[in-house]
Amino acid sequence: MSFKVIKAGFHSMIQDRGRFGLAHQGLSQCGVADEHAYYWANHLLANDRNDAVLEITFGGCELLVLTDTAIVVTGADLAFKVNGNSQPIWQVLAVKKGDRLTWSTPITGVRAYLAVQGGLQTQHYFNSRSINIREQVGALIQVGDELLSLATKTKNVGKAMPVWFKPNYREPLCLRILASYQFEQFNEQQRDILFGQTYKVGQASDRTGCRLEGLPISNSPATMVSEGMAYGSVEITTAGLPIILLKDAPTIGGYPKIGTVFSLDLAKLAQRQPGCELRFELIDIETAQTLRREFEQFF
Amino acid sequence: MFEIKLASENAIIIYFGEQASPELAKKIAFYSEFLHERLGELIIDIVPSYTSALISYDLNNCDHQKFCNLVSTSLAQAIFVNEEQSTEVIDIPVYYAEEVGLDLARMLTEKELSLAEFINIHSQQVYLVYAIGFSPAFAFLAEVDERIQMPRLTTPRIQIPAGSVGIADNQTAVYPIESAGGWNIVGRTPIDLSLNDYSNLQRFRVGHQVKFKSIDRQEFLALGGSL
Repeated sequence: MSFKVIKAGFHSMIQDRGRFGLAHQGLSQCGVADEHAYYWANHLLANDRNDAVLEITFGGCELLVLTDTAIVVTGADLAFKVNGNSQPIWQVLAVKKGDRLTWSTPITGVRAYLAVQGGLQTQHYFNSRSINIREQVGALIQVGDELLSLATKTKNVGKAMPVWFKPNYREPLCLRILASYQFEQFNEQQRDILFGQTYKVGQASDRTGCRLEGLPISNSPATMVSEGMAYGSVEITTAGLPIILLKDAPTIGGYPKIGTVFSLDLAKLAQRQPGCELRFELIDIETAQTLRREFEQFF
Repeated sequence: MFEIKLASENAIIIYFGEQASPELAKKIAFYSEFLHERLGELIIDIVPSYTSALISYDLNNCDHQKFCNLVSTSLAQAIFVNEEQSTEVIDIPVYYAEEVGLDLARMLTEKELSLAEFINIHSQQVYLVYAIGFSPAFAFLAEVDERIQMPRLTTPRIQIPAGSVGIADNQTAVYPIESAGGWNIVGRTPIDLSLNDYSNLQRFRVGHQVKFKSIDRQEFLALGGSL
């Protein structure tokens, strides 16, 4: 009925679609960092789209299978192996009691997802199984933990994502951004700095925010009274550099925001290491909503 | 009356005014509740704050323009009633002392106040919850008396113990969990405001009133406080 954690890895934790309806009490939405890889994982297993998965960042993780079941690994290539043999990702695999699943080191991408048939049945916190370390809601997986799943007959083995859907986490990244919030308070010169340069993903990036390094925007608008911050909001700090707010970000904040990144581009960003280059370009609300709706309808 | 702006592909932010005030805070709490009742099926989250409310909605069932229209129409029909007397005041016991108030000594020197005077000023005021955020159940309270206002520390502390009571400019708050932070710490509450107790999520709401009550070391320990 479950997996046993042999090695926890650098930063492995349970996530689902996220925690909703409690942002007014300060609980951030959390949920998986890469929605694209997550939706595919549950889709291939014919799971519920909200089923919980294990988000494995950078690898170093080993699990012992305690019951025969079907699994899927999607997202980053972290040199996934079963009993020491490389196995395909983006494809349903049958695993047997006693099998050892390992993710060692990043080959491409940063975050791998392990989904199991029927979804991981870990503890709920406020209507979600998602963990938020910053908020002390749940914890990273620990050596010796047992991750429960439902006892079901193994199905869908061999079902794979068509190759043309496979994302390339090495291709140059362009984040499409909506002109939201305080966009108009930034003058043309300041916007040119945002759209005219190639930024680098900074070292101090995590599930809360992605800090970018590059040429600062000078004289950016002053801090304001705190207001609600949506997933993907791009804050410009006093130093003039962008922070893209991600799934674990606080619900409110006072830096001016120059725009909001389109969610499916944030899924791509979730697979970029510090040092990766990226650019920004504008997207309009109609296009963003159409693309997101198509994505939801596909799964 | 209000201005609607785009916040994300499935969120808008409504600005109800320019300047934070007790009246505006009550209005925002009222309109947030009203919109929740009217458009609850489409709404995912509402985050009220000092001058605004962020609303995320289900984009599979409603597009941006339609949602903006629904919100505008609903707000035009809402009639704000100021229910001044009905609001209860939430009491929070605080042990004000240097052993828990990391910045207390410095504040007393700079403000030229005795400890008793400081406690009086901080605990006499009835504060209003203007916003909840930063971390779960962290309630931003205002307005702090001018005599004890103090800007944030230039370098935030890495670790502030849970229950710490802080001041930042005209705001005061309790840190529900141990966290980093730049507020001036003046005391500590023995009450557990963390999510160890799930009911703490319901403790504060924007528009609620809060008052601090001074307690001594013995009461602090008796109520479960830790030093």
